[in-house]
Amino acid sequence: MARRGLLAGLLAAGGVILADTVLWAAEDKGEGGLPQFDVTSFPSQIFWLVVAYAVLFYLMSRKALPRVAEILEARQDRIARALDQAARLREEAEELLKRHQARIAAAQQQAQRLLRESQERLQEESARRQAELERELAARLREAEARIAAARERALARLDEAAAEAVQAAVLRLAGIRLSKRDALAAVRQAGEARVEA
Amino acid sequence: MADPLEQFAIRPIVPILVGNVDLSFTNSSLAMAIAVAGAYGFIMLGTRQHAMVPGRLQSLVELSYEFVANLVRENAGRDGLRFFPYIFTLFFLILFGNSIGMIPGIFTFTSHIIVTFFLAICVFLGVTALGFWVHGVRFLGFFVPKGAPKIMLPLLVPIEIMSYCVRPISLSVRLFVNMMAGHTMLAVFVGFIGALGVFGVAPLAVTVALTGFEFVVAFLQAYIFTVLTCLYLHDALYMH
Repeated sequence: MARRGLLAGLLAAGGVILADTVLWAAEDKGEGGLPQFDVTSFPSQIFWLVVAYAVLFYLMSRKALPRVAEILEARQDRIARALDQAARLREEAEELLKRHQARIAAAQQQAQRLLRESQERLQEESARRQAELERELAARLREAEARIAAARERALARLDEAAAEAVQAAVLRLAGIRLSKRDALAAVRQAGEARVEA
Repeated sequence: MADPLEQFAIRPIVPILVGNVDLSFTNSSLAMAIAVAGAYGFIMLGTRQHAMVPGRLQSLVELSYEFVANLVRENAGRDGLRFFPYIFTLFFLILFGNSIGMIPGIFTFTSHIIVTFFLAICVFLGVTALGFWVHGVRFLGFFVPKGAPKIMLPLLVPIEIMSYCVRPISLSVRLFVNMMAGHTMLAVFVGFIGALGVFGVAPLAVTVALTGFEFVVAFLQAYIFTVLTCLYLHDALYMH
């Protein structure tokens, strides 16, 4: 209530001031020095100023300002939409990038696994082959050694026999004794062993 | 030499008499009408195309819209934006009134104290009414400086009230004197050009410089009037 009263009082005071000015202007018809202080022109100036302000206010608030605001808002909306879209596209691109990176990582893993597997297989294979080769070589070596030993035996036997025959012949020629083949062979072997011991 | 003050004379174009009150349509009223048409035409012409990417004129319109909007927001606060159309109209009426006055032969209606004073008193009364409307009787607390010693209040409160009541006078006199002085000075220098013969080149140069200067003043005074209105609005809305 107090608020209403104050407001009314204020407006009344303003009205009284204006009315006074107008009346004062209407009464005083004197010619002053400055045109600015010629009060007879005041009512007209105030009246037309109010009209001008009212008209301009009506035009601005009803027509011009909403139009500018609309343009600015439309642009703001469009910028916001474009930004939204850009953000969405960026998210999509990031998603795609992530998927691709995952795929690349998986492929790399697979490649490494394959490489490892084939390396292991190759190593196994070569180890197996080597072992086989070694076995074969060992077998051949043993066989060859056996063959050499047999040949040596045989050669040695034949040498002993030849020596025994030479001993028989020498004994018959020198002593005129016919030595049996077995004795001659025994003598040769004995002499051979003695020589080996020496 | 013509009287430099003659340009401020008000001449009726269409005499109108209501009772014994003279409400003639004068050269001042014509200038007001041109200012209204100019301000409205400027905005409507600029926004004619509704361009998403603004052209030169539309940029200017948008710039001035945002300029005044920022001015209101920064000086009167967010709540002040409710009064944006009033402030915008005020700014453009004064700006165009000052600016079209720079065209030779067109009357400068803001060079009359009654015009600026009426604008200022309307702002003053409106803002004061708003203060009481928003805060009720507590708005009177605006005249009690915060943190001042109690003993000083009998001295400070009248000073505060006086400085508050002087606002419409300082607001109106600033604009009126600036416009009147500028135009008087221009007229005086223009008068010298003819009087000095060949040496009239000097006052001509001064006139050219002053003309540019006056355009700055035309904008600046409209701006100051608007900023101060916004600040008063802020006082009424927030009481500091």
